[in-house]
Amino acid sequence: MSDLYGKLILAMAILLCSAVVVPFTAEKRKLAGWLNFFFVAVAGAILLSISYSVIFVKSLPTQLVSVGPLNIYFLLDAFAGFFLGIIALMAIVSAFYSIEYMEHYDDYGLRSYYGNYPIFVLGMAAIVTVDDLSTGFTIAWQAMTITSYFLVRFEHRKPEIVRAANKYLFLMELAWVFIVAAAFIAGTSMGDSIHAVTRSLGGAHGAVPYLVYGLIFLGFGFKAAVFPFGQMWLPDAHSIAPSPISALLSGVMIKTGVYGIIRTFFWMVPHTETFHFSGAFWGALIASFGVVTLFIGTVQSMKQSQSKRLLAYSSIGQIGYIIFGIGAALFMVNAESATLQMLGLIALVGVIYHVLNHAVFKGLLFLTSGSVLYSTGTKDLNKLGGLINLMPVTAVVAGIASLSISGVPSFSGFASKWTLVSTSLLAGGEAPFLVIFGIIALFTSAVTLSCYVKFFGMTFTSAGAEWGVGREIKEVPAGMLIPKLFLTALCLLQGLIPFFYFRTIIGIFADSGGSLVSAAFRNMHVQDHVFNSAMGVSVGIPGLSSVSSVAVPAVLLAVFAAAFAFAAFLRRAGGSKEREVPTWLCGYQDLHDKTRYRDKSMFAALRNLLYWTGGNVKE
Amino acid sequence: MDILIAVINVLIFLTLAPLFEGVVRKLYAKVQSRMGPPIIQPYYDLLKLLGKETLSAGNWAFRIAPMMALASIITAVSLMPLGYTPGFLTQYGDIITVIYLLTLGGVSVLLGALSSKNTYAMVGASREMVTIIMVEPVLAMTFILGALKAKSLAIDAGMMSSLNGSYGISMVLMLVVFLMALQAFVARQPFDIAEAEVEIMEGPFIEYSGPGLALFKYYMMIKQMFYAALFVAVFVPLIYTGYYVVDVAVQLVEILMVFVLISLLGSTNPRLRIDQAVKYYAVLIAVSLVAVGLTAYGI
Repeated sequence: MSDLYGKLILAMAILLCSAVVVPFTAEKRKLAGWLNFFFVAVAGAILLSISYSVIFVKSLPTQLVSVGPLNIYFLLDAFAGFFLGIIALMAIVSAFYSIEYMEHYDDYGLRSYYGNYPIFVLGMAAIVTVDDLSTGFTIAWQAMTITSYFLVRFEHRKPEIVRAANKYLFLMELAWVFIVAAAFIAGTSMGDSIHAVTRSLGGAHGAVPYLVYGLIFLGFGFKAAVFPFGQMWLPDAHSIAPSPISALLSGVMIKTGVYGIIRTFFWMVPHTETFHFSGAFWGALIASFGVVTLFIGTVQSMKQSQSKRLLAYSSIGQIGYIIFGIGAALFMVNAESATLQMLGLIALVGVIYHVLNHAVFKGLLFLTSGSVLYSTGTKDLNKLGGLINLMPVTAVVAGIASLSISGVPSFSGFASKWTLVSTSLLAGGEAPFLVIFGIIALFTSAVTLSCYVKFFGMTFTSAGAEWGVGREIKEVPAGMLIPKLFLTALCLLQGLIPFFYFRTIIGIFADSGGSLVSAAFRNMHVQDHVFNSAMGVSVGIPGLSSVSSVAVPAVLLAVFAAAFAFAAFLRRAGGSKEREVPTWLCGYQDLHDKTRYRDKSMFAALRNLLYWTGGNVKE
Repeated sequence: MDILIAVINVLIFLTLAPLFEGVVRKLYAKVQSRMGPPIIQPYYDLLKLLGKETLSAGNWAFRIAPMMALASIITAVSLMPLGYTPGFLTQYGDIITVIYLLTLGGVSVLLGALSSKNTYAMVGASREMVTIIMVEPVLAMTFILGALKAKSLAIDAGMMSSLNGSYGISMVLMLVVFLMALQAFVARQPFDIAEAEVEIMEGPFIEYSGPGLALFKYYMMIKQMFYAALFVAVFVPLIYTGYYVVDVAVQLVEILMVFVLISLLGSTNPRLRIDQAVKYYAVLIAVSLVAVGLTAYGI
């Protein structure tokens, strides 16, 4: 089985080789794009096969692998395999999208882009598979950070972009210092595996464990964009990078921070007689950070007038849901009551499910806004509007992605957000603060909806592009449609068969040994409390009423479809004829650039009420 | 039997919603010393509109928005245990699903408004979205209150919590908040800010005509009845006999009383501005949070 580690190194070698070879062909832009796609796809396919076998066949234990002169611990358990799979999938999709997309930067060469792209992917793949916090971690983190820095500052002739990229680099290096410092404070030396770190942490007393966990949370918190650290770099970095890179940054890279946080607080926990890990304290703390992040991030997103900034802030908000879920789960699994423990395990499943869902729909949304940028040359929602008939496929894709991220039933965001919200509401009887957190999360999903009503509404419906954009707007070429359609199909699938994902994720936690919860996942028979009903999911937990909560997308979809058919029948029943007419503004004016509604007026009352949350756009 | 109840449920809402709308219009007229239209006028209106010409903005979003709105409210209604009798579909959703379905109805209105390109419609859409964001938490917390008592997020358990258990201070507090938000739920004065006939010409619906308008109007009527029925089921558990017909009849009479209340409040209040309304809603959210907090501590 250990030849999987060999395959991992092989995939990384292919990526490295791509970074060396492809830049030489950068003069021929299309060829370089195809070559880059080819290498990334081969490496990605290998990574996906590794991911498949560790998730569905068997997790592997830690192994010391010699990479050139270095000996580095790698760990390919099901949990790492899950993140590895997401990284590989999104890397392939983005590489394909890049082929056509990078054509529109005709005044920038692609040498640096194709030199950095594969190493960026390599860095992300390494960071979820290395099993130390010193040597291997540093190599992986730097590979990911430095290459993404060059990718973010792709348009290097614009000073504001370089400034934002420099800030990004500085903060990521700071985060690295925090994490590595934590590892040394814990009392380890270079190259020690996480097991060794955990062991030496077990002998620590007093404030040391708090310092170690605090620094690690801070470091990965920077990467995952937890409030207030995320606001410092994410909106700038994600909105200025080329769109396929934004898709990778938002969809995948910030998830490595999530990976780090979960690995730390669920795996790096010693069990000794002198050391008591205060899971309740850390859980409540992380959940509080998460709730603040999801609320502030989403509200700030609602205020944005640039499509990519809106999506970037919304990533902070969605990460907030994930961090909140991690905290709530950590709190609950460390509780005394069996009911809470079970709810905690289910919340953890929801967290991982949301990681996957967010990677897909946020990647999709960034590719969509990239397509709009490609066709119109602008990201400003004040100048866009009415693209629905000009870019019909992109419009449908954007609509589905928006519904998914807003958590409309039967779409993918619903199932995962439902898990997070329902577990924290059900925990209310024993942990009242979680109810309040759950309500804030529920309220915030209405705000999320408003972000995407605005994003979709001001881009595809309404009116404005005919005056705001001074060129002919066409649908993007097939090379940019295919990756989007692929992700759309995946997105729909994730919404329709949540049970499959639930069961897989339960298996992942049960298989990945050594964590706080792997025994619980096996002993408490989580799968017996999560039921499959007509393709949906329901949760019944001892201590609560017989069946406590359900989400059944397929049945709801069928009812909705029947009701929709009835509405369609009513619409035709009277034999009404349809005629297209110009917009009617009460007879005094026609609709033109001066009389149309602009994005900056949208939700003005709410924006004023929530001015204190920051992230306001200056007019 | 269960399936039959779900169907009957939907049919009751589909047939009676326009009647209650007629009652409201009649009462509005009486308060304002007018004759008013016959009570069954809304049925005539719907039928007439279905046959009228459709003036279209020329994109698919404009076409599907009214159908989506009606479909989402019908789906929500099909989950509802009218007369405290859960239908076949009640088990297939929980309170979070219902909340999202109601929101989807609002979103369809927004989609229609935005795709109509009309500036007045967009003003209305912006206000509608703000209202959804600020009022939805009150709705959510009404459900959550019941859920906390019943220790389950199931729709019937949550809605029947006051029938099965104690009422408590928190429930009274929530009742007050729900009543204060009622006009906003059903988009009547003083909170008909998004439509505001005389100000922005029915806002989101300005470009709609014929069947599209009929479907939106139908959606609004059913939505009103849904909120009235929700209020009755959660807060006024008068009797529960176990006989389906009697229980439904009692609830329908109670729903009628709620509509009388809606008409009286609506016809005697001037419209607020959106910025005033938002501050009002913020207070409601704060109070309902207190109510939920009290419930969590079992008060």
